[in-house]
Amino acid sequence: MAADYAIHAENLAMVYGRGATRVEALKGVELAVRPGDLWAIMGPSGSGKTTLLTILGLVTTPTGGSLRIDGENIYDGKQPDLARLRREKIGFIFQSPNLIPFLSVRQNVLLPLHLAGVRGQPAEARVRELLGYLDIADRADLHPNQLSGGEQQRVAIARALANNPKIILADEPTASLDTDRALNVMRLLRQVTNEHHATVLVVTHDHRLITEVDRVVEVLDGRIQ
Amino acid sequence: MNLALRDISYHRFKFFSSTLGVSLLIMVVIAIGGIIRGVILDSATIINKTGADLWVVQAYGAHPQGGTLGPFVETSRLPQQVYHAIEAIPGVAQASPLATAWEHVEVMPHPTRLMKFMYINALLNTASMVKPGWMAMPKLQRFIVIGYQRGKIGGPPVIVAGRGIEASHYEIVADVKTGFQLGQHMRLGNFDYTVVGLTKNMVGFTADPVIYTTLVDAQNIIFQQDPNLVRSQRTSITKPFTELAATQPRLAAPLAATAAATAASTLSINAIAVKLVPGVSAQQVAQRITRWQHLKVYTAPQAVNLQLMGSNRLILFQLALFRDILVLIAGIVIGLITYTFTLDKLHDIAMLKLLGAPSGVVYRMILQEALFMGIVGTLVGSALELLIEPYFPRRVVATYGDIAQMLAAMVIVVVLASVLAVRRAMHVDPRSVLGGG
Repeated sequence: MAADYAIHAENLAMVYGRGATRVEALKGVELAVRPGDLWAIMGPSGSGKTTLLTILGLVTTPTGGSLRIDGENIYDGKQPDLARLRREKIGFIFQSPNLIPFLSVRQNVLLPLHLAGVRGQPAEARVRELLGYLDIADRADLHPNQLSGGEQQRVAIARALANNPKIILADEPTASLDTDRALNVMRLLRQVTNEHHATVLVVTHDHRLITEVDRVVEVLDGRIQ
Repeated sequence: MNLALRDISYHRFKFFSSTLGVSLLIMVVIAIGGIIRGVILDSATIINKTGADLWVVQAYGAHPQGGTLGPFVETSRLPQQVYHAIEAIPGVAQASPLATAWEHVEVMPHPTRLMKFMYINALLNTASMVKPGWMAMPKLQRFIVIGYQRGKIGGPPVIVAGRGIEASHYEIVADVKTGFQLGQHMRLGNFDYTVVGLTKNMVGFTADPVIYTTLVDAQNIIFQQDPNLVRSQRTSITKPFTELAATQPRLAAPLAATAAATAASTLSINAIAVKLVPGVSAQQVAQRITRWQHLKVYTAPQAVNLQLMGSNRLILFQLALFRDILVLIAGIVIGLITYTFTLDKLHDIAMLKLLGAPSGVVYRMILQEALFMGIVGTLVGSALELLIEPYFPRRVVATYGDIAQMLAAMVIVVVLASVLAVRRAMHVDPRSVLGGG
């Protein structure tokens, strides 16, 4: 049943350019990921991983196929409010933490809640809970430039979790970390899938992580192998 | 959570140093507005404070349009007794004969440190424009003498120290800008005078301060010639009558005396300030004076206009144009600062968009920062202008109304200036946060 999947993509295609400059970045991608699954998407540079991630993250509109996120048919003919869907259903984690530098740790985590209209005590309680969960409560009032790389990545994970998203998309989250820290991040993501029942898709080149995920999907020349 | 305030707070040095630059620009804009208002007030002060409805001056010949622009812009000279005829015209409540002229006294220069600074600054600025001696520090105190009949309009409107003129002779009331002190004596014309009172803000359209005397004293100061000159003139004036003595011996001496007295007479005035009975048409009375008394008449607004647009027109236009250019520059500077601030935040804007921030959140952040800069810049600039206003050599009058206008103008300028930044933010692609692969 399609409604049982957190992500259900059918025959997804993405074509850039026309004529001689036409590039098929994705061809007939089929993907069905259940809630609570932790998948890795792997593949060489230029294989279409990031294009797939941007389509699943609702920042790129595919040129073909259909996509359901948390049971909601995204491109069903109506103009989708992609910004709202991103706010409510998707959390992002990146290779670099991409925290907003002029906001404190607490405010960075508060930001997605604020954008979703969650204010006051419930928002503050959620931020406290997440900072405690990720063991960075004592850094709440610092700015990102006052944190170590690992701490910044934890803040980024807290921010991604703030709105209780159904899906977390992680783009090379361990690329700049040593093995121990990379494994720690992956264990944290596993914990998130277990405790928050969120679906996590990790785009990575990092073969050290294969043992930590439920399934590895390999993208090659725009197709899932 | 206000993102604009968070950004300002985090980048406070960058933001406030930029805002200070904007403030200084706005300070100059408001100061130029104050200088313009000062020129306008200087051009209108004497006319307004005198309270006359009409100003009667010398006409030229019989042409109805002919007339001097006196008494302040051109020389105007009338027989004193004319004012009696004007006073008799129905609708005239009061006709006050006035004698006015620019005069000076020689004073020992003891400029303040501020004045020295301004002088040196002026010297440096004009070094390549002047020849030796052109910029020597003046040792003269120039002022406008206004002589009036006590009890009639035309005297000092307010006394800020001392008293008004009470004696018939040798007392003056001076504007504080002359630098004269109460009790100070000075020689004007052929007599010595004592400062008995001080008035304030009474200056002519050239910003020269005013001193008041009785009409008779002013006539002496302005019209009385040097006694030696009078004596030598008397010889040449009475010479034709000595030849007449051979044929008309009883007539020659009185005629010679009359001619000499007429030549030396000071019974002239420069203008008549006319106050009308309330409700009487100024135009009708003016027409009647022009037609029957062969004089030129200006209403009070016309008299101000002569000084403002006749003498100060070009400097006024130049200043107004310069102010417009500065407002434009302030707008461009704020626009560029806002745009640069936005360029610095493109990555953060992309991140906000990726997190699902509605476009309004991003645009509001840009606009609020620009507005904050414009409003704080205007308020700080206005405060600075009010602080330095008293130190300008000429009158500078910026009002709270001017500041409110500037604030409104800056809001419009800032909104327009941030359009460029908002357009740039609109084109930020949230995918730019993600890598490739």
